[in-house]
Amino acid sequence: MAVSARSIGEAFVSIAGRDRVRDDTAALAAATVDGVQPRWAVRPASLEQLSRILALACDGRLAVVPRGAGSSQELGHPLSRVDVVLDLTGLDQVIEYNPDDLTVTVQAGISSGALAARLSPRRQWLALDPPGGAARTLGGIVATNASGPRRVRYGTARDLLLGVRFVQADGVVTWGGSKVVKSVSGYDVPKLMVGALGTLGILAEVTLRLHPLPEVERSWLALFENPRAAQALVERVVDSALQPSRLELFNARALAQASAESAGAGVAVSIGSVDEAVREQGERLKAIAESSAGRLVPLPEGFWGEVESAMAPLESSTVLHVASLADRLAGTIGAIEDAFRIVAPRAEVRLSGCAALGTLRVVVSGATAAETAAVTTRVRALVAEVGGSVVIARGSIELRRSVDPWGPVEPHALALMHALRDEFDPGRVLNPGRYVGGL
Amino acid sequence: MPLSGAFLQELEGIVGAGGLVRTFEGRLVYECDMHTFYKGAPDAVALPRRTEEVVEIVSLCRRERIPIVPRGSGTGLIGGAMAPVGGVMIGTNRMDAVLEIDLPNRCATVQPGLINLSLTRAVASRGYFFAPDPSSQMVSSIGGNVATNAGGPHCLKYGITTNHVLGLELVTGAGEVVRLGGKAADRPGYDLLGAAVGSEGTFGIVTAVTVRLLHAAEAVKTILASFTAIEDASEAVSAIIAAGIVPAALEMLDKLMIRAINEGTGAGYPKDAAAVLLIELDGPAAEVEAQGERAARICWERGALEVRVAADATERALLWKGRKEAAGAVGRLAPTYLLQDAVVPRSKLPAIMRELIAIGTRHRVQIANVFHAGDGNLHPLILYDDRSPDQLERAKAANEELLRACIEMGGTVTGEHGVGLDKAKNLPLQYGEADLNFMYRLRRAFDPDSIMNPGKLLPSHPACGEGFRPARPRVPDGAWI
Repeated sequence: MAVSARSIGEAFVSIAGRDRVRDDTAALAAATVDGVQPRWAVRPASLEQLSRILALACDGRLAVVPRGAGSSQELGHPLSRVDVVLDLTGLDQVIEYNPDDLTVTVQAGISSGALAARLSPRRQWLALDPPGGAARTLGGIVATNASGPRRVRYGTARDLLLGVRFVQADGVVTWGGSKVVKSVSGYDVPKLMVGALGTLGILAEVTLRLHPLPEVERSWLALFENPRAAQALVERVVDSALQPSRLELFNARALAQASAESAGAGVAVSIGSVDEAVREQGERLKAIAESSAGRLVPLPEGFWGEVESAMAPLESSTVLHVASLADRLAGTIGAIEDAFRIVAPRAEVRLSGCAALGTLRVVVSGATAAETAAVTTRVRALVAEVGGSVVIARGSIELRRSVDPWGPVEPHALALMHALRDEFDPGRVLNPGRYVGGL
Repeated sequence: MPLSGAFLQELEGIVGAGGLVRTFEGRLVYECDMHTFYKGAPDAVALPRRTEEVVEIVSLCRRERIPIVPRGSGTGLIGGAMAPVGGVMIGTNRMDAVLEIDLPNRCATVQPGLINLSLTRAVASRGYFFAPDPSSQMVSSIGGNVATNAGGPHCLKYGITTNHVLGLELVTGAGEVVRLGGKAADRPGYDLLGAAVGSEGTFGIVTAVTVRLLHAAEAVKTILASFTAIEDASEAVSAIIAAGIVPAALEMLDKLMIRAINEGTGAGYPKDAAAVLLIELDGPAAEVEAQGERAARICWERGALEVRVAADATERALLWKGRKEAAGAVGRLAPTYLLQDAVVPRSKLPAIMRELIAIGTRHRVQIANVFHAGDGNLHPLILYDDRSPDQLERAKAANEELLRACIEMGGTVTGEHGVGLDKAKNLPLQYGEADLNFMYRLRRAFDPDSIMNPGKLLPSHPACGEGFRPARPRVPDGAWI
């Protein structure tokens, strides 16, 4: 039986109310993804509305694109079908905050900044600091598996997500995990939702593990002639009793943007603890840096804010996420910089990374899609040796059409991913075609 | 379901005569894990050495639709590594090699049969360790730890097994070798690795594991504080956490347990103590020193009877001695016990302890408690005499009631032991039909023919089975033409 557009639109209105279902030109232009304008922009106000909207969309064989703060719209294979953009920022409530248990349950559309404001009076925080920071929604951070320098100590969303309520493609509300910090009852469903772009279900609520804010936190910057010397420092720090809460490496360009320092490479180290321990570890860090032929300068509090702006992409920038191994980091940085130098000599490449884990964020401006695609392919071949990856975290449609934005996935693993997608969203309602392997 | 001679011959062709257990006596060894309630011997036990052999075994069983039960050291507590419907057990004991130690990248790759503690021993001299430390770590296998997503006393600070597994090689129920994750972080695609850890052998058999290694802490401080009331000890726990201290371990023993331990091993806990709190801090020396002092002060402020601080490793071992021997010590109080593993939010500890006492009284059973107070993971031991069927029934009733109470307080039915056969029936307490249905369908993607560890991890409730779809939300009238 045919479903008419008009009646679907009216049905959306009957679910969410007229002011939450937009089909006017301005709203649709604002909701456009990958150049495809949706037919409706819907902003549900409750879990129930979200569930009913999806049930309807599923029956109508519509393509639904979930959206939080909109910071990851240029991620994945370009969309070719977009019927509904589902704005989740209306689901922005703190459902349950248990400071004594260091857990919080929030609706997925709450911003990271709003959550932090709720937690900080109790001197607690969610230890996720992805670029783009406070404005991003928790649902978006989890669905894109976004992380920042803190991951060296606290891990990523997969380590902090305890429970998840999501709405499957057919509208069925489903819960996975638990609301306590330790549980092994049943499969670890929350992990499946991390980084899945909502393709197995749209996140509606997340329960997260919190951490106490350290009493004192101070940061230092160790400066070196080149990334290799910086990597040597990282290795010594990791192999010592120091417990850094950040251990972030910068290339010369990123460093110059974020600070007044000029050097071939820098490593910013944060130590958070009780005052005496921070001071004592700072001394040790100084000794390590000096014996590593580096110069150590204390950093002002504002430094990390500067890093945020230094590493923020411009309108036309591309962002690559490169994963290699810690002991290959300097080589990987060299290879990335060389590749751009050869292929796109005018490009500006700012680069930072979680040095102890071998992950890098590369912000490129001034390179064409073809140039960036060529570099992506080259670096992929290099990191493939160690099972690494290059993901285009943000890139133009042209770039994402000319090179697979995700890169290869192990064939048997990909077959399982297909099986899951076929099982849970056979009609490809959720973000169709956008995920790895065109899932 | 006796296996045919031809099948056994094929199996022997894969693993060799030395790798196949066929005799009745031989198979009896494998009829249960440490949860001796549930017994079911496999029809044969295959002990492969290589991934290729595992693939062949799985393919053979799949062809014949014979169930497969994976088993590591058999130290599980949930009836996971036993064969309720017979079939072939695959024991990983002979797959115990360390394949690679990569200290520059702080990881190691091992075969699943390697004993947990052996890995730490292999890297300790270089200053590293493998963090998951289930109490069974001297005998349990890393593959088993992965299957159950094992915890341990120190997971309060360090996290459970899943936080330390970087990659797996898995032979799925479809007989495919799939590599999930690996040394490099952030693989694109679904986190199948995360889903596979804790899947209790229902997705397939793990044939290699890449784990994270951590740098050993510079300093360790162990504090033992005793209290006259369990509420005071619980408040001390909350106050320590509220002070921003995340101890490596935070363990509690109740009055009955203290008595059992004092009578048994002579750990020398104060006689009047109704609760003993064991606090272990580790990290940089200055931090441990400062936080240790603060934790001790908090205990005094909450009315501690006594606070002991271990001065060295020997004293530390002494303070842990009682805790480590807790399960054995209760043997002095009753011939046997049911061990529970439920979790409540940490802030609900005083409430659940009151509830436990009420449950014990109601069902006329003694309940001794030892638990991971820091994460609210309870391990009540419900004591009974197995020669009395009536006592067993009462113990079981108390057990069920206790689980229900934990769930009502916002907890979970298992914190670290797993589901297995034992708790499959309890999952509906915690999950609705849609939630369980999602898990069934997830399982089927890995094991399309339902041959992997059948009967474990999920309840066999018909509503959750094949073809079932949970109720969908109502679609508004007028949406269809």
